Amino acid sequence: MVETVNIIERKDIPSNAIMLNGLPDVGLVGLIATSHIISEAKLAEIAYMDSDLLPPIVVLHEGLPHAPIRIFGNTDLIASFSETAIPADAVQPFIRKLVAWAQAKKVKLMVAMGGMPVQNRQDIIEPRVFGAASSKSLLNMLREKDIEVLKGGYMVGPYALIMRYCAEKDVPAIALLAESFYKYPDPVAAAATLKEFSKISGRKINLSRLTEKGEEIRLKARDMMKRTERELGRMKKTQEYDLPLYV
Amino acid sequence: MQERRRRRTIRDLIREYLEDIEALSEEIMEPSIAERPSWNAQSCCLEPLCSVFVTPNEVIVTADLPNTNPDTIEIRPTNADTIEIIAEMKRKIRFDELGITHRKGEFQYFHCQTNIPVLVNMERVRTEFKRGILEIHIPRKKGYKIEAK
Repeated sequence: MVETVNIIERKDIPSNAIMLNGLPDVGLVGLIATSHIISEAKLAEIAYMDSDLLPPIVVLHEGLPHAPIRIFGNTDLIASFSETAIPADAVQPFIRKLVAWAQAKKVKLMVAMGGMPVQNRQDIIEPRVFGAASSKSLLNMLREKDIEVLKGGYMVGPYALIMRYCAEKDVPAIALLAESFYKYPDPVAAAATLKEFSKISGRKINLSRLTEKGEEIRLKARDMMKRTERELGRMKKTQEYDLPLYV
Repeated sequence: MQERRRRRTIRDLIREYLEDIEALSEEIMEPSIAERPSWNAQSCCLEPLCSVFVTPNEVIVTADLPNTNPDTIEIRPTNADTIEIIAEMKRKIRFDELGITHRKGEFQYFHCQTNIPVLVNMERVRTEFKRGILEIHIPRKKGYKIEAK
């Protein structure tokens, strides 16, 4: 079978690393959080994703062309990061490939950081963070870290697929989802997820720069948010508001 | 084994028809959304992200206005079903601060126009500005009621 998505490695990939995933979703929470970690930990580009399912885009950095979906890393941390909204039709093959790659690289924990849209977000000063996990032992770990577990309902989008495929392939995975805006970039929710990630991983993360740059991030992220919102609509993201039918 | 095809009900047909219309309207609308930049260097304006929610009693319009001085926000009804939001930023933002170095220009204002999908009373608008998000509450006009018996 011809692969529709490829991961091209540019450097040695570490084994037994934690892998963060910053993919465009509600409030761009995971994207903002991952971007902050990449810049703070000075992660280098180690691979990129290539596919004909993406629009013909390159991202210029310092005049040089780069793929819009790249993987960064150092010796113990890997982060996937997308600078374009992933077309709804491409999400499944992309995530399937990403999870298979993570399994091949013996990733010890996949972390999906994202947002959980709430209608009264303007009134919330400190967003709560909820967790989901691919196995019972990881759910217990979340509870031990005082993270409230999502017991029921729907997850839709890239993070939903990360959790599903990781559970299928026995790749340990957790999702950290902060109360967030749906259609507005939410750096405060991103900081809330990073705070919980810090508790889990034992890494110190300086969040003050992220908080200080909040307004600037919201200004810069408008176009990305608009395009992401359109793709989320195609993924039927609003199903996350639905009440599940358990009879 | 040959799979027996389920007979489609009238409900299925209507659902498929509506999905086709939705897909077609998305296709028609997409270029106009995608091809319009979110900035206008001539008028020094950035377009903010906006949302409209309709509740039984009011329409709530929200706009994300980071770096805005709340005292400068102006909300103008431009006709019976459109409002315009204009706000001045605390400081001018240059293209290069937004990561673009090959364009010249700076932005001092947010500006957008939003359509209100139901009848509203523009005379009694209430606003709030919390953490950079503008919230405009516009009461809905009460038309005639159809009684359910």
